[in-house]
Amino acid sequence: MLGVENLTVKYGPQTALENASVRFEAGTFSAIIGPNGAGKSTLLKTLVGLLPDPEGAVRFDPGHTARGCISYVPQQQTLDWGFPVTVWDVAMMGRTGRLGWLRWPGRKDRQIVEDALKETGVFDLRGRHIGALSGGQRQRVLLARMLARQGHLLLLDEPLTGVDAATQETLMALLRRQADKGRAVVMVTHDLEQARRWCDHLVLVNRRVVADGTPEQVYTTQNIEATFSTSFLGHTHAEA
Amino acid sequence: MHLLTDPLQFDFFTRALLAVVLVSVLCALVGAWVVLRGLSYIGDAMSHAVFPGIVGAFLMKGNLLVGALIAAVLTALGIGAIGRRSGLKQDSAIGIVFVGMFALGIVMLSRAPTFTTDLSNFLIGNPLGVTPADLWGALAVTVVVGGILTAIQKELLLASFDPTEARAVGLPVRRLESLLLILIGLVVVLTVQLVGTTLSVSLLITSSAAARLLARSLKKMMLLAAALGTVGGVTGLYLSYYQDTAPGATIVLVNTAIFLAALALRRRE
Repeated sequence: MLGVENLTVKYGPQTALENASVRFEAGTFSAIIGPNGAGKSTLLKTLVGLLPDPEGAVRFDPGHTARGCISYVPQQQTLDWGFPVTVWDVAMMGRTGRLGWLRWPGRKDRQIVEDALKETGVFDLRGRHIGALSGGQRQRVLLARMLARQGHLLLLDEPLTGVDAATQETLMALLRRQADKGRAVVMVTHDLEQARRWCDHLVLVNRRVVADGTPEQVYTTQNIEATFSTSFLGHTHAEA
Repeated sequence: MHLLTDPLQFDFFTRALLAVVLVSVLCALVGAWVVLRGLSYIGDAMSHAVFPGIVGAFLMKGNLLVGALIAAVLTALGIGAIGRRSGLKQDSAIGIVFVGMFALGIVMLSRAPTFTTDLSNFLIGNPLGVTPADLWGALAVTVVVGGILTAIQKELLLASFDPTEARAVGLPVRRLESLLLILIGLVVVLTVQLVGTTLSVSLLITSSAAARLLARSLKKMMLLAAALGTVGGVTGLYLSYYQDTAPGATIVLVNTAIFLAALALRRRE
């Protein structure tokens, strides 16, 4: 569905990601895995088109316009949960991109939002202020917004962080279903075990793509060491 | 009862009351976004930066609103351009532009024949000097700004709550912010008349900030901000009438007291 080719991203003198080439396919649940500072979120943001001009290219396959089909779920803690909106309001924000300018949500949109909230199990909380929710409930609301958006490409930044174990199962099953419906689901995570259980495509990242393939191909001691230990060495070198 | 009705025999007082109510409603509409998006500093900057536009229009006997609008557009574009070209952080770009513009306004005004009284009117404001034409202008701006904000409400909401998703969806987040800055510039012109340049950010944000502490939804926040602003404005105006204090500053002080009361109320919850 889309991919990056020879992507290099630098923040000033720091190289966040070097010469990365990956493809993400429709009907696939992919996980981008790596330690902190490995360039996972950078890769995700490049896919969304949030980084101004990276070296290399982001290519969408014909028929998928870049903007129309993307839904992005940010890390929970980057949002202001004191914002004066209810659960319903947040889910309805998923319709904003669909509706376009000067159009107001109609009965169809309300039905879509209701279905999304029911699917993520927070419909009963629809009138609540978002500040009154637990971490798991907040993530469910963000996923409801993602569903209401009805995108073909779902990008999620650390959806499992700050979420209780029961909700993690629900969320993973929900994302799995989305992939099975033919959507491309890509999540950034550092939870290798969850990714191995639910995803059919793993990308190990540590400032470069260390490994890319099915869990069977990728999940080797060698790859995991290369992903999670070199960053530590790299840091000590850089700091020394 | 006479206490309340006595001042109303003066037309200038009635006009000041009407202006205070209108501007409070307008400030609630715009101020909600300023507070939610953390634009208070840039709002303050804008209130100073439109100054040369107002002075220019005043000296050329043109329309103050148009003058301010031009200055607001230039400032919004200027802050963006300087920020991008210089690579400085945005607050530095804002600081440079707004002080420069404000100084330009003062220099222009110092060339005017009736320098001192006009300057103090601009800096401190004078609600009792509101003319019927000012009132019509305020009403027109309230309708226009209210209309624009209603039209782009769902886009502003997404861009304010989650700018990343807004950009992913393809909303022009930066242009929305520029538009908001220009609207702030427009509102500031009306607040300058009441409380002057230096205090105008108070009308813009204090009531909205107090409302934010107490309200659970955006609509309630705006309604509450309008109500609090009106109460503060009217109370301040009467107080200044009986205590013979500067009306603009008195209104600002009452608003500040209301904010502190809201803060105390929330603590207790």
